[in-house]
Amino acid sequence: MAPKSYMRVENITKKFGPFTALNGVDLDVYPGEVHALLGDNGAGKSTLIKILSGVHQPTSGTIYMEEVQRSFRSPREASAAGIGTVYQDLAINQLMSVTRNFFMGRELTSTLGKLRIDEMNQIAHDEMLKIGIDFSDPSQAVGTMSGGQRQTLAIARAIYFGAKVLILDEPTSALGQKQQMEVLKTIKRVRARGDIAIIFITHNEIHSRLIADRYTFLALGQVIGQGTKSELEGGDIRRLMAGGAEIKDLEQELAKI
Amino acid sequence: MSERNESDRLQNESWIQRMMRRPEIGSFIVMIIIILALGLASEGKAFNALGLKNNIAIIAQLGIIAVGAALLMIAGEFDLSIGPMIAFAGMSMAIMLKWGLPFGLGEATPFSAFAITMCMTLGFGWLIGTIVVRSGLSSFIVTLAFWFFLRGLTEVCFRLINQNTNVSGLPDFKKESWFAEQMGGEVFGWLYDAWFWIGQKVAAGLEFTAGMTKDEKIDLINYLSFLNINRKMEQWVTGFDARLFWFIIIAGVAWYVLAKTQIGNWIYATGDNKESARANGVPVNRVKVGLFMFSAFCATIFAACQVFDTNSSDAAKGMFKELEAIAIAVVGGILMTGGFGSIVGVVFGAVTFGLVANAVFFIPWIDGAWFRVFVGTVLLAAVFANERIRKRITGGI
Repeated sequence: MAPKSYMRVENITKKFGPFTALNGVDLDVYPGEVHALLGDNGAGKSTLIKILSGVHQPTSGTIYMEEVQRSFRSPREASAAGIGTVYQDLAINQLMSVTRNFFMGRELTSTLGKLRIDEMNQIAHDEMLKIGIDFSDPSQAVGTMSGGQRQTLAIARAIYFGAKVLILDEPTSALGQKQQMEVLKTIKRVRARGDIAIIFITHNEIHSRLIADRYTFLALGQVIGQGTKSELEGGDIRRLMAGGAEIKDLEQELAKI
Repeated sequence: MSERNESDRLQNESWIQRMMRRPEIGSFIVMIIIILALGLASEGKAFNALGLKNNIAIIAQLGIIAVGAALLMIAGEFDLSIGPMIAFAGMSMAIMLKWGLPFGLGEATPFSAFAITMCMTLGFGWLIGTIVVRSGLSSFIVTLAFWFFLRGLTEVCFRLINQNTNVSGLPDFKKESWFAEQMGGEVFGWLYDAWFWIGQKVAAGLEFTAGMTKDEKIDLINYLSFLNINRKMEQWVTGFDARLFWFIIIAGVAWYVLAKTQIGNWIYATGDNKESARANGVPVNRVKVGLFMFSAFCATIFAACQVFDTNSSDAAKGMFKELEAIAIAVVGGILMTGGFGSIVGVVFGAVTFGLVANAVFFIPWIDGAWFRVFVGTVLLAAVFANERIRKRITGGI
């Protein structure tokens, strides 16, 4: 018996004027799984996550959360429904401390808006420790952290504030090799919790093969391949990554020049 | 090697390194140097009973507007309209006190004149803030427009209602109005009373002889001035200007809000990167509009203290004050780009500026224009220092 999907997207279409960005996309995400969303530039990955996180509204199609139909009119609504999106810029402020970033906009306060700073420090420290960083001093500025640590902060923050579906927008791009591995480890630890569904957007075939349980390939706004890890062979993944083209074909094309 | 993780790379800092990272460290060092230099050059006169009162008056005056400018700068915006706002508020209060309330509402009391003026200036602050956040224009240009607008409006109102660009010789409201006394009167008299009481005990052993030479007399008077005793052996100074009280209140509240509260976190977040602040649910626009209004509030308090102290006002009030307020904020460690800084640093900056601005009164051989030379030099040094701190924090150094 297949596990129950946490979020199901059916037949999503998005048109910007005459341009069709997404044309009938289906997606299932399950708790405790990493769902890799792959595709070339312009394939529609960004549009899809913007619809899931409430930035755009779909032209047609439906989103179900735990079999209940939902529509998000704003990022706030999506976030309240348990969809946490970590964008590439991470929405982190460099000059502010780890704790102040962690609770930015959602501070814990007592009377007269006073921050419960000790409690906040403790929570920020504990939540980041859970997914792999022991950051001894949460009052240190984020500017001193590495790219991987910043990712961890953004992910820990999304989870703490109730993300059940965690959307990671190319978390490994723009990082060095070692940092990339740190981020992948973090994703694995989140996966191991078992209650969070992860949508992992990437360009990198190797990364997706290291951690993904399920794949969706997009090209020109359509799904060109979908399945679990066991259903897809390595060669399939590479071919689908290139938008359906064979690497051999590309090699031949390159050789002609 | 495998035991080592990323966080090990951040060394634990000693408290000295921690202090050096604080935003107010530069302004603290400059302040100490200025206090010592002025004390020496004036032979201590800058800090005798009257010197302290006069210095603190100007420190408090500059500090009140600098705090408003600083909070706004931390949120990433400028306000060039502080000076004209002071002139406008002063004009508004003085004219109401002289010619009565608008719309034939009768005689103005100090409080009603102040309250109506405050409503107008907060309205201007709201308008400036709303234009800035709605249009997305640089606050530099929007507040520059209001600089001209308010300067002009102040002068026009003076001429239309008063036929003259100054109001002077208003009755001394401090005598009958508790409110006017709080704005323009004296505070913390008990400190000077205590000073005088101790001074008397110290001076009790002094011997006075009719046959003192002139030099001996001058030495004696100098000595007495540090005991809060005048040459008739009476109490010399009775209290600080009420501005000090307002400066303490405004700086204290601003420090608390910025460092300890949710709104403070929103102010930092707004100035650091407003897009990521917005993405996390910080009401960026409301923060900015609120701080433009706070800046107008500070300018109005400044003007009220001036009007009720001197019982007069004129169209040239508040000249250059916006630039001085911004300069103090920068010297106090506030980044030009926003997102960083502390009120404690701004207080140090205000002390430094106030002392230097007043130095000419205590060091007779110095030309008062050196003040601006000093400001220019310190400002430039401060900008470089702040930039260095920013890079150190963001890992650039």
